[in-house]
Amino acid sequence: MYMKSRNRTVLLALLIGSLTPCALADERSGVGVSGIADQAQLDKVHPSKPNYSPYAGRNYPTMPLFGETHMHTSYSMDAGAFGARLGPREAYRFARGEELISNTGQPVKLSRPLDFMVVADHSDGMGFFPQLMGGDPQLLATPKGRMWYDMITGGRGAEAAMDIIISFGRNEMPDGFPTPGTTAYRNAWSETIKAAEEYNEPGRFTAFIGYEWTSNTGGNNLHRNVIFRGDGAQARLVEPFTTLPPLGSDNPVDLWQWMAEAEAKTGSELLAIAHNGNLSNGTMFPVVEAFGKKLDKDYVQARARWEPLYEVTQMKGTGEAHPYLSPDDEFADFEIWDRANLDGSVAKTQDMLEFEYARSALRNGLVLEARLGTNPYKFGMIGSTDAHTALVAIEEDNFFGKVAGQEPSPERLTKTFLDNPETGAKIMDWEVSSSGFAAVWATENTREAIFDAMKRRETYATTGTRVAVRFFGGWDFDPADAGNRMPASIGYAKGVPMGGDLRNAPDGKAPSFLVAALKDPLGANLDRIQIVKGWVDSNGKTQERVFDVAVSGNRTIDANGRSDTAVGNTVDVAEATWTNTIGAPELITVWRDPDFDSRQRAFYYARVIEIPTPRWTAYDVKHFGNEPLPGTVMVLQERAYTSPIWYTPGG
Amino acid sequence: MGLRSVLREPLLHFAVIGAALFGWYQWGGGESGSGSTRIAITGGHIDHLAASYAKAWRRPPTEVELKGLIDDWVREEIAIREAVAAGLDQGDTIIRRRLRQKFEFLIEDLAQAVPPTDEELSAWLVANPSVFEPGPRVTLRQIYLNSDQRGPSAAADAAALLDRLNSADPDAEIDLLGDPTMLPPAIDRAQARDIDRLFGPGFADQIAGFVPGAWSGPVKSVYGLHLVQVRERIEGALPALAEIRPLVEREFLTERRQQQLDAVYEALLAKYTVVIEPRHGASAASDSPSEEP
Repeated sequence: MYMKSRNRTVLLALLIGSLTPCALADERSGVGVSGIADQAQLDKVHPSKPNYSPYAGRNYPTMPLFGETHMHTSYSMDAGAFGARLGPREAYRFARGEELISNTGQPVKLSRPLDFMVVADHSDGMGFFPQLMGGDPQLLATPKGRMWYDMITGGRGAEAAMDIIISFGRNEMPDGFPTPGTTAYRNAWSETIKAAEEYNEPGRFTAFIGYEWTSNTGGNNLHRNVIFRGDGAQARLVEPFTTLPPLGSDNPVDLWQWMAEAEAKTGSELLAIAHNGNLSNGTMFPVVEAFGKKLDKDYVQARARWEPLYEVTQMKGTGEAHPYLSPDDEFADFEIWDRANLDGSVAKTQDMLEFEYARSALRNGLVLEARLGTNPYKFGMIGSTDAHTALVAIEEDNFFGKVAGQEPSPERLTKTFLDNPETGAKIMDWEVSSSGFAAVWATENTREAIFDAMKRRETYATTGTRVAVRFFGGWDFDPADAGNRMPASIGYAKGVPMGGDLRNAPDGKAPSFLVAALKDPLGANLDRIQIVKGWVDSNGKTQERVFDVAVSGNRTIDANGRSDTAVGNTVDVAEATWTNTIGAPELITVWRDPDFDSRQRAFYYARVIEIPTPRWTAYDVKHFGNEPLPGTVMVLQERAYTSPIWYTPGG
Repeated sequence: MGLRSVLREPLLHFAVIGAALFGWYQWGGGESGSGSTRIAITGGHIDHLAASYAKAWRRPPTEVELKGLIDDWVREEIAIREAVAAGLDQGDTIIRRRLRQKFEFLIEDLAQAVPPTDEELSAWLVANPSVFEPGPRVTLRQIYLNSDQRGPSAAADAAALLDRLNSADPDAEIDLLGDPTMLPPAIDRAQARDIDRLFGPGFADQIAGFVPGAWSGPVKSVYGLHLVQVRERIEGALPALAEIRPLVEREFLTERRQQQLDAVYEALLAKYTVVIEPRHGASAASDSPSEEP
């Protein structure tokens, strides 16, 4: 069994208790069957014939839907310059499972379809690239426009793209740059909406309408993806909010204001998802002030209102935790990008990290809630790609890169992605992460159901695997619940799902959690399930601790709640293969917080870790037969992060 | 050949495009051959200039401004004629790309200018059933045996359990049988792709021949062994067009746009002789000379 041995014993006891005593004896003799009810039960026919389907009459989600909330296409100005030629329609077709020809002319297809997608092209300069390449006279009359055009046609698109990003961050975009209200802009937004409308098929594939608001002043990444719950007729009533003045603003407060107005005007609900705090140089999760203004009730309330989720993993790094902030967490050092801000213009310093990573933000949010009455960082977790190729191709053995120039080629293992000699910030192509997916426990595959699940934070992030993860918190889960055939049934009946709240602990009770993970049917076995707890101690300081709660194989969990034995490694790097001979296909357990203090605010989330598998770099070496650079990471442990469950005293 | 099918003939499109371009030269430039020295601007064109101005500035142009617009247009016309005469349009990537873009947009627009009829869409649906045919929908129950945990006895356990299940009532409750799992004990009317998504690739194929009502297996999945009772199998039927018309139209038009583009190039290619000369050197990848239509 793949849970800690205490639970195994309990589970067996549970099974035996409800079965014939001979069942276990049968198993020992090797001729019978364990876990079988006696003939009386088998022969029993339900007198009242309840619904045959155990799901009928239930309205809770039974399957996680996997998708992507952050896809760029050729409509994004930088994507176009980087060489993207595929547009929103192609993005949706690819996500639905169709085979396409990539931006560089290579056939590409997903291992299996995704369930939903948001095409989120940059709102600033939406349609800029088609306009530039179409030879728009106003743009080409500017020195910058002309220079970019010549660079792109001269085969230096990547260089042009970086310069576009930098110019944008400095508000140095040329005249003729499309802004809301211009024809080029309206056309691009209208085409974006049309593509989503065409490919939205309720029950089969959900195509959301959305865009990315790319606040990037000084190269500090404060980007947000904005998603519409409603349809094209509603979304057409507004044009996206941009960041460049005078029409736009780089301050998230103004985005939230725009969202409120857009909701009123369109009748469609909206939400925003921030990403890449790791490239914000300490500005993603402020605790004192933002944009020169002290954090106040308005800020924390608006942020909590509009930003129920955070994109915790994607191609430009994973931002759950940082080794400097979490020195006791040996799994924190995963696909970290921590050298500088987005354009490499300002190097990272350690004091910035606390305000960039999800776990520290969740911790600080508890303190802000005590101070200001609302927790601005009460977010759930999702992953997405941020690919600028229209291709959500992030399976490790099917990785088509962040930009068109990183589609499979013998060169991508050794090329440089970003290099700023002044700050020393240098990132190689091999460091680009093949991640991640958004998993959503929605009642059905529709815009409305998925959006609503996002709003209630019943979501989790994965780094590219399609592992199924359940996480429930309540006061009365007992170990036997881990043996139930339908954990969800018990979970919803006795507790709240991921993203939910526990309040006011009953006397003498500590919160208990039912957590389960089922491996990706095409993926690797599971190493372990962990629960990460964060809380505010009696001195008002935040703390964190990682517990192993279920581990595979014959490993044990010690008195400190840890299993220090690694799961092992079956990866053959040269062949880019692994075997599921270690780990477990499924883990399930019930865990109770051993150090609970009912007066202290806390959060808990689950982290599920797979056994080691080859990273995309290993597949590249195997395919192209080339040499990786020294230090290239070739093996990784894919993982999932659930949305937290929060405990609030006296709430 | 009906009017609609005539409208979808690529060669006709080419003729239409040719006529349109010819007409444009006739109208836009007057006698605008490169040798012509007469520049005429029609009253309609002046109206157009005035309207564009009004749209941009939210008021009509004054007399002086209108004169400025006309003068500017005349300059533009002179510049274009002289530039074309001097061959300045040759080899300009912007102009080449822009013209190709316009040419292809025109063809693509023509491809969807006439909305497809129900008959056409029905015919397309019948010719491409796999795109929308869901395949059989299966309702099943399953009991999971964890083969990792049970080791070598798993197969025997499964066989013994199967015997018992098949001698019991087919509707007997199974909640406590087998090993605990997150995998659902029952699935309603699921397509093959949904079944495979849960149990891994190939699972739906393995149960395809199971007789409804009986317990069968064990079936091997990536998780372990499963005894499966197919309760109901509804053969897939192609949905009626009315149920999925927008989706069929989307696929139909996607295909037609591509086909027409291909067909137009194919037809035009016939009137050109394309010579692809050998490369000068293996390293000169970017400047291999070739003539393309």
